[in-house]
Amino acid sequence: MTPSLFSNLKSLFEKKSRREAIEGYLLIAAGTSVILFFSIFVMLYAFYLSFFSWDFLTPMKFVGVENYVKVFEEIWDGICGGSPFRTQFFIGIKNVLFYTAIVVPTQTILAIILAVFANQKIKGISFYKVSYFLPSVTCSVIIALIFVWLFQKEGLINYFLSSMIPGFAPNWMRDVHYALWAIMLVAIWGTSGNLMISFLAALQALPQEVYEAASIDGAGRFKKFFYITLPLLKPMIGYSVVVGTIGCLQMFDLAYAMPGPGFSTTTVVQNIYNTCFAESKVGLACAKSFFLFAVIFAITYAMRRKFRYETT
Amino acid sequence: MVTKMESILAILLIIAIIISGSGLYYIADLDSRMARLEEAIGAVPAPTEFYLRFSGWGAGATEIELYETMLHNFMEENPKYYVKYEPMPTMYHENLLSMFGAYVAPDVFYVDSMWVPTFLEKGALYPVEELTTPEFIDMYYDFLLEIFKDAEGKLYGLPKDWSMLFLLYNKKLFADAGLTEPPDTWAKLLEYSEKIADTTGKPGLSIYTGGFERYLPVALSEGAPKPIFNSAADAAWFERTDVKDTLKWYVELYTKGKTEREAARLTPYVVSPADIGKGWLGDAFGSESVAMVISGNWIIPFLADEFPDFEFGTDWDIAPVPKGSWGRANMAFTVCLGINRYTKYPSAAWHLVEYLMGVEGQKKLVVEMGHTLPSIEELATSPDLWPQHRKTLDYLTTPGYDVVMAWFMGPKSGELGGKFSTAIELAMLGEVTVDDALTEMYNAVVDAFAE
Repeated sequence: MTPSLFSNLKSLFEKKSRREAIEGYLLIAAGTSVILFFSIFVMLYAFYLSFFSWDFLTPMKFVGVENYVKVFEEIWDGICGGSPFRTQFFIGIKNVLFYTAIVVPTQTILAIILAVFANQKIKGISFYKVSYFLPSVTCSVIIALIFVWLFQKEGLINYFLSSMIPGFAPNWMRDVHYALWAIMLVAIWGTSGNLMISFLAALQALPQEVYEAASIDGAGRFKKFFYITLPLLKPMIGYSVVVGTIGCLQMFDLAYAMPGPGFSTTTVVQNIYNTCFAESKVGLACAKSFFLFAVIFAITYAMRRKFRYETT
Repeated sequence: MVTKMESILAILLIIAIIISGSGLYYIADLDSRMARLEEAIGAVPAPTEFYLRFSGWGAGATEIELYETMLHNFMEENPKYYVKYEPMPTMYHENLLSMFGAYVAPDVFYVDSMWVPTFLEKGALYPVEELTTPEFIDMYYDFLLEIFKDAEGKLYGLPKDWSMLFLLYNKKLFADAGLTEPPDTWAKLLEYSEKIADTTGKPGLSIYTGGFERYLPVALSEGAPKPIFNSAADAAWFERTDVKDTLKWYVELYTKGKTEREAARLTPYVVSPADIGKGWLGDAFGSESVAMVISGNWIIPFLADEFPDFEFGTDWDIAPVPKGSWGRANMAFTVCLGINRYTKYPSAAWHLVEYLMGVEGQKKLVVEMGHTLPSIEELATSPDLWPQHRKTLDYLTTPGYDVVMAWFMGPKSGELGGKFSTAIELAMLGEVTVDDALTEMYNAVVDAFAE
């Protein structure tokens, strides 16, 4: 095996085209090895850790699938209505699923609307594009800190809200019923601009002939939008829903910077973080991570299948 | 024949194996890696013999600067030392734990009293008794040292400073409400808060929603024993009548003083700092948004820095924590300076601790800065001690506290403290009843010892 491989390598180097290929692979080797070590290896090592009990300081102890059993017990306990103090992982899943169900459709619809507006040929359109996109290039923690201020009882948001709906001035960040909604609003505001740019690119790549044909047939603006634009945008919608769902299920930064009272804004990743660093249960935290990975994988896979069937 | 694609894949595979292998080796071969690391670290500053890393959370720029000056002086006096100061402002204990996991923990570091059991249990701290004389240890307050001892009474750290609670009241708002004296009992505290809200339109009292340690003085002053949890059986503390009654009273401060008053469209007489858009009690009190808060010595340098026009003595004053039917109770908060069990130079690390926390060090870092209270008994009489701090210390003798509980609840302190506070918070926000909160706290203790 070795000599044949060696002679092959030699002949590989002798041919110019092969040499180019090798050079190419060597050039990407740096990046690839970083990914191999910091993503692939770290992931595999976390999987390995999920079968151990470890608290950073004392030696690791092999416990088999015990950590996974604990994860399922906690979820089962949560389904049976157990104490919120014992079922924070379950609460995290519940919060994050609700959060995803609201944020993903809203931000996608909003992004399409914004993109359609930004696609108009009106004066000063760049200004609007830039303003929609600005939140995406701002650090989410800083955004969260500003919004914590805006969401105060006597803050700007309540000032406008109470003028529109008299008497409606919730104490957003201090009320268990509103805290998660406040985070959702920030998330939608922050990501729609980013998605808008993707949708704008997709809109500008749409074939113009179809629209021209529709105009000849006498289709109006709304008909064109619902019967041409939306169907043609389907692959892009599928992409943004999948990417948005993955992002939402892993939400951490906003919940960390805008904490609500009690468990109202606990997310799965936050609970994993607390399990790992506040309770020093590294193995259990890794098991929870892989459970989350399985959930995300399943949802993404189901979505991909759905969108593939619909687009073909 | 091996195809081109296969050859390329083979090369990639070899690269991957080498990288992953070195990674695995890196993880697996901890001992020799540590030795190499220490060798490398020790070799960095060539002329020095002892390379030490020192970490704390660094409360503000002034404190960080002061530490840097102190360490600079230390290195000038001790040319063989090189000390690197690494303050970690956020998630301090979490960061420290993961540094231990990666074998890169600093040699000398802060540990909060609530976290000491976690570090002790895992054997992360060096027994300081082996490094010093009993005379040196005797300089410190006994009740503070107790927290840093293990079950056998071996000492693992020394308190760098300490703080206790006291009542701060706004003299102007008191005068406006026609009050001349600060409240001396819990009942008066409630009465005055209401009166101030009704007459001045500003909330009388600010408390945190949650904050188990702020509730404890109420329970202790009504006769409850210190909550120390050493086994699941100790959860019975939450079944005591005095605990149930005082917790109900404490939760109702907020449910009646804030929620019900707002529902009746009246000025709330109790608010949390967040309710009035303030970060913490210091902000709420310093900005004169509320008339009273119960806080600790750390609030004093903050008020002096942030609200220089709000003067101690003329605008605001200090009073002892109100008393209950059994007596007067207070809490003591402290932080230890610990030495890493795995440090290469234990006695050099001790030398640094001695320098920072000895009489001279504390005088500069704690007393002159007006930071908190010195943990060395003889410094309590230092003429440099700020008058505000002096006043809080004097309350130890007159009127005197019947019990001062160091903020520490046994081996599961860190874990339990957070859960108790969440339970109280949920009760204050009306999400659970006081009885439910008590059950949750009871269960938290049982769970903590079940594993």
